[in-house]
Amino acid sequence: MLPNSIQWYFPTKVKEAAKLIHKDGIILHGGGTKILEPQPRSSVKGLVDISALGLNYIKVTGNIVHIGSGATFADVVAWSRDKKRLTVLSDSLSHAASTPLRNRITIGGSIKDFPMWSNLYAPLLALDAKIDIIGERSGIFSLEEYATSPLIKSKHLVREIRVVEKHDIRSGVKIFHVVRFEYPIFTIAAACTMDKNIVRDARIFVTGVKKKLVRLVTAEKVFRGHSISDELINSAANQVSLTFVPDYKFGAAYKEKVAKVYFKDLLREIKESIR
Amino acid sequence: MKISFTINSRKRDLELQPNETLLNVLRKNGLTEVKSGCEEGECGACLVLLDGKPVNSCQVLAMSVRSKKITTVKGIGTLHSPHIIQKAFAQGGADQCGFCSPGMVLAAYSLLQKNPNPTREEIAEGLDGNLCRCTGYVKIVEAVHEAASKLRNEKSQAE
Amino acid sequence: MFKYVKHSVEKIDGLALVTGEEHYTNDFSFRNMLYVSILHSTFPYAKIEDIDDSAARAMDGVVEVLSYKNVKKILYTTAGQGFPEPSPYDSVLFGDVMRFVGDNVCAVAAETKEIADAALAKVKVRYKQLKPVLDFEKAEGSSTVIHQDDGAFPKIPVFYDASKNIAAKVEAEVGNFDDAFAKSPKKIEHQFYVPYASHCALEPHAAVSYLDFRGRLVIISSTQVPFHVRRIVSVVAEIPVSKIRVIKPRIGGGFGGKQEVLLEPIVALVTWRTKRPAKLVYSRKEVFTSTRTRHQYRTTFKVGYNKDGAINALHLDALENSGGYGSHALTVLANAGSKTLPLLNKIQNLKFTGRGVYTNLPVGGAYRGYGATEAYFGYGQIVDMVCEDTGCDIVEYYKKWTIKSGETSPIFKALGEGKEGVAMIVTSTSLNECIHVGAKLSGWYEKRKLYGGDFNKGKRDKRGIGMVALMQGSAIPEIDMASAYMKMNDDGSFNLMVGATDLGTGSDTVLAQIASEVLDTPVEKFIVTSSDTDHTPFDTGAYASSTTYLSGHAVKKCAESIKNQILKVGADLLTVSIGEVEVEESRVVVRRKGKQDHHQEVSFAEICQSSLYQKNQFQIQATASHVSPKSPPPFAAHFIEIEVDTFTGIIKLLNYVATVDCGTPINPVLAEGQAEGAIVNGIAYALFEDYYFSPQGILLNDTFGKYGMLTAHDIPPITVKLVDSFEESGPFGAKSISEININGALPGIANAFFNATGKRLHRAPFMPEYVLSVINE
Ligand SMILES: Cc1cc2nc3c(=O)[nH]c(=O)nc-3n(C[C@H](O)[C@H](O)[C@H](O)COP(=O)(O)OP(=O)(O)OC[C@H]3O[C@@H](n4cnc5c(N)ncnc54)[C@H](O)[C@@H]3O)c2cc1C
Ligand code: FES
Ligand code: FES
Repeated sequence: MLPNSIQWYFPTKVKEAAKLIHKDGIILHGGGTKILEPQPRSSVKGLVDISALGLNYIKVTGNIVHIGSGATFADVVAWSRDKKRLTVLSDSLSHAASTPLRNRITIGGSIKDFPMWSNLYAPLLALDAKIDIIGERSGIFSLEEYATSPLIKSKHLVREIRVVEKHDIRSGVKIFHVVRFEYPIFTIAAACTMDKNIVRDARIFVTGVKKKLVRLVTAEKVFRGHSISDELINSAANQVSLTFVPDYKFGAAYKEKVAKVYFKDLLREIKESIR
Repeated sequence: MKISFTINSRKRDLELQPNETLLNVLRKNGLTEVKSGCEEGECGACLVLLDGKPVNSCQVLAMSVRSKKITTVKGIGTLHSPHIIQKAFAQGGADQCGFCSPGMVLAAYSLLQKNPNPTREEIAEGLDGNLCRCTGYVKIVEAVHEAASKLRNEKSQAE
Repeated sequence: MFKYVKHSVEKIDGLALVTGEEHYTNDFSFRNMLYVSILHSTFPYAKIEDIDDSAARAMDGVVEVLSYKNVKKILYTTAGQGFPEPSPYDSVLFGDVMRFVGDNVCAVAAETKEIADAALAKVKVRYKQLKPVLDFEKAEGSSTVIHQDDGAFPKIPVFYDASKNIAAKVEAEVGNFDDAFAKSPKKIEHQFYVPYASHCALEPHAAVSYLDFRGRLVIISSTQVPFHVRRIVSVVAEIPVSKIRVIKPRIGGGFGGKQEVLLEPIVALVTWRTKRPAKLVYSRKEVFTSTRTRHQYRTTFKVGYNKDGAINALHLDALENSGGYGSHALTVLANAGSKTLPLLNKIQNLKFTGRGVYTNLPVGGAYRGYGATEAYFGYGQIVDMVCEDTGCDIVEYYKKWTIKSGETSPIFKALGEGKEGVAMIVTSTSLNECIHVGAKLSGWYEKRKLYGGDFNKGKRDKRGIGMVALMQGSAIPEIDMASAYMKMNDDGSFNLMVGATDLGTGSDTVLAQIASEVLDTPVEKFIVTSSDTDHTPFDTGAYASSTTYLSGHAVKKCAESIKNQILKVGADLLTVSIGEVEVEESRVVVRRKGKQDHHQEVSFAEICQSSLYQKNQFQIQATASHVSPKSPPPFAAHFIEIEVDTFTGIIKLLNYVATVDCGTPINPVLAEGQAEGAIVNGIAYALFEDYYFSPQGILLNDTFGKYGMLTAHDIPPITVKLVDSFEESGPFGAKSISEININGALPGIANAFFNATGKRLHRAPFMPEYVLSVINE
């Protein structure tokens, strides 16, 4: 519950908004879905709405896709399906929450909030996305650095996410949830940069693990410099070790088991897509 | 404080608190056709169209959508002049208790605006934010299918 | 054959519902209204040593605080059942002992909901924690006694032993089980578990009350049982029945969850004391924790049979978790036996033993299926096991061994609802036809053979098909009563007033169709009012699959009496004898030598005008009541095809075929809708739904998102086919349909799973982790 004394701000300039949130208790409002979660929020004094900042865009310059932090999950899904670009994003985000929620949930709020059940992070990390922020720390960072460093906790406004679109990339995502409208238990995304059928580089990420996020570095190494084969997938899977937190529905060991199955499924799909 | 919205094409000034959800504000101001089933974004009973797009009004802070266009189920058709989708729901048994219906009808409306000829799979995706415990969804999906074909016929006749 | 019945008439409230015109309880607000919030216990078992509400009372806007300190402790049961209730009197409105997390501590009434909520935080409660019982298998005879010194007692003469935590006990035997079991060449014994579940009606429980102009208390409530509400509120709030009016507006689904009197006495007391309107609407979390649930069950089946598959002896032992109070404990338990065991009525030696035990967990109650769902999980599987073991074709097995028209089962008499049951001969069944049609529609023979063969060898995704036959009941015989009142208006229209409670099932429409059929008048001519204790006659309410069968019968009788009056006036106006006239299309016409004479007719409007204004004046009106001497079972056969991912344990449904005998479906589309809704709820219960508790007895998944609700995206193709029979004792041949179809998914999916993997599922829900462990056993 937010206090009923909160102040609203509707800035039209990014700088103005970034300045406002320097004050204690003043936070940004993207879609508001996290802010509305039922928990006491008596420390919140003001909300800075980002909708008038002109950040609700998805545009392409050269081979870079810019996703404004005000864009919603629905915007990204629609763009990606329509343009058939970065389809790993629509594959993933179309599974997040529900149609009406996807119309509200913003990229910026989801990046800053980074819930355990995020559908957004794994594919963006696999695609080696960059993030442009302004605030206590400003600049363009790799999303991986942002998510794994104190940066994410600093006071800032996310301006946009950038993804370099490469045509030699094969990517995919797997999400584990048992019913459609349910918080994903984990998400695995992989992107392989290919030289013909040889993997030049691989980035594989899992979110929903104990540390929230893990990069499967050893598995990536297995593929680098090779063409993907079933043997390679199996041996990579054998080297994967994931630590999950048990919850009331699933034990940690089970989650890991399924994650490995999904890992193999995902890489097999990527393998198929190369042929 | 009073904030103005355009609700079902009518301009209205609604009394609200800065921390209130759109759901609360609408219901308090007499728009009880917007239902409340969970207030956590998980049932879709509170679904309204915001500038034409479906949202869970319980997941929207009213202040954040000031001066926007809001459509409730009464905005697309009324008892005396029901929309084709509403007729299809009533005729096809897609409404049992009807508590999910206002949200469900709006979700269907928005889907058919974007996609006049959806597959069953696409209908299911368009309704993925709307729970119904009574019907088992079978007749709802059928009704949307039926309404879609009627709307297409109507459109092709008009052309 | 029928003109209005067996037609898919549009629901009379349909358009009003889908255009958002209809009002549900929470849509009513009154000037000067108070908002009520409830403080719930955070401990599973605790004695309240003191409540200090002074800080709350001191808050601006707080008007009243109710707790055990200022509300008389009157023992009652929250179960909305007929009087005297078969559930124990073990509850008080506000007590000083908290028996589960979610039990009511106190209520605050304030000017706004926000103030009421804020005030809850200011109520200081001093608890003395007691050692809880959180495992229902350890409840009986535990050193922790849950109802101790509180005076809890059974209202009817049945076994009850609170000192051993036994809320209910049911035992029955026909033949001699032990003997026959011992002599049987083949024996199996299996234990099954089903979990708690929430009804998840989309409308949360709500009640609003106010005083009318003459100071009477009016309660608007989301209830399935308005007359029970009136009676029970009168007792616990100590307000005479004559001063209470209960109105049931539109209800956003019930499924048994609203057959319980929980919120009404609280708003009633607030209004009675403050003289101001009061509203209480539960949050979704409160619905999950503090209202009622499906009881958790363990069932144990011992079956002795011959090499040819003939079962000699069957013992069903049921252990029911009643939770903190015994609401519906006895009757759900009895139904676990009485709605399953008669199905294979040729078994000579049957034994049913059951206990319902108190625990410090959420309270069970009525839930669609009512014991039958819980028991069919095992019952439907053991039949499959016997067939599997003896090489019988399960489809033929059911055709051979199930109860037929003209047959009975001694269980009908042996197992009643808190007393002896009612002997009954089944007079309508199309079960064999259901099985035949369902087998065809589902491709049963080809698929069962295919999947049982090499098809699945070496595959990760394995397929299977399973089937199950089911029965339920229609109303509680010689206990439930329904009544209807009708009057005729000038233009030939009718007011039809029924106590039967439309929860969204469409019963208002179905009842109008029955009256239509009798009077040969379109459905639009009936103005249906359902459930207002001031204006509609008594009805026990919407439960026990009774509305169409029982209330429908009352309406039919009522309409017949109206018809006689109309014929009399008509004959009089046409100056012929009553034997020469009949009703046709809203007119009375003369029939001579079997032919109608269209020159001699008089319209309903003319008839009513004459009776109201002109000749031998009187109001054409009638009332009728009905109690059924029997509870004819509807039957169904379900065929379910699945695919199991043997790497993850995820079960995916590929196809669901249900064939249903509900007698005459008064409104086929609405009947199908009842079946489809029940099927999907059954699937959800089989695969996903469960209550997960912390070690402190706190419910962890108390939101729709965490509970795992199905959306349109999650459902398989579902085919429902109604296979009519004709039930002489029902209105136009009707039986019930609302509950039976929730029973099929558990055993049907489990049987399909066996077909796919050769393994048996003993525990619901079939969450992938459990399923995987079974696959890898
Ligand atoms: C029922 C439900 C189901 C959900 N299911 C999923 C799911 O399956 N998958 C999934 O990925 N997500 C899901 N979500 C969404 C997720 O939990 C968060 O609520 C969401 O990502 C927050 O985004 P928002 O735009 O609403 O952020 P807000 O609530 O507006 O803000 C969240 C945080 O981010 C800050 N913030 C907002 N905008 C910016 C910005 N531009 N720059 C910096 N900081 C900012 C805010 O100050 C706040 O601290 C679900 C949400 C709900 C309610
Ligand atoms: S009330 Fe908003 S989604 Fe349920
Ligand atoms: S009709 Fe009751 S919830 Fe959908």
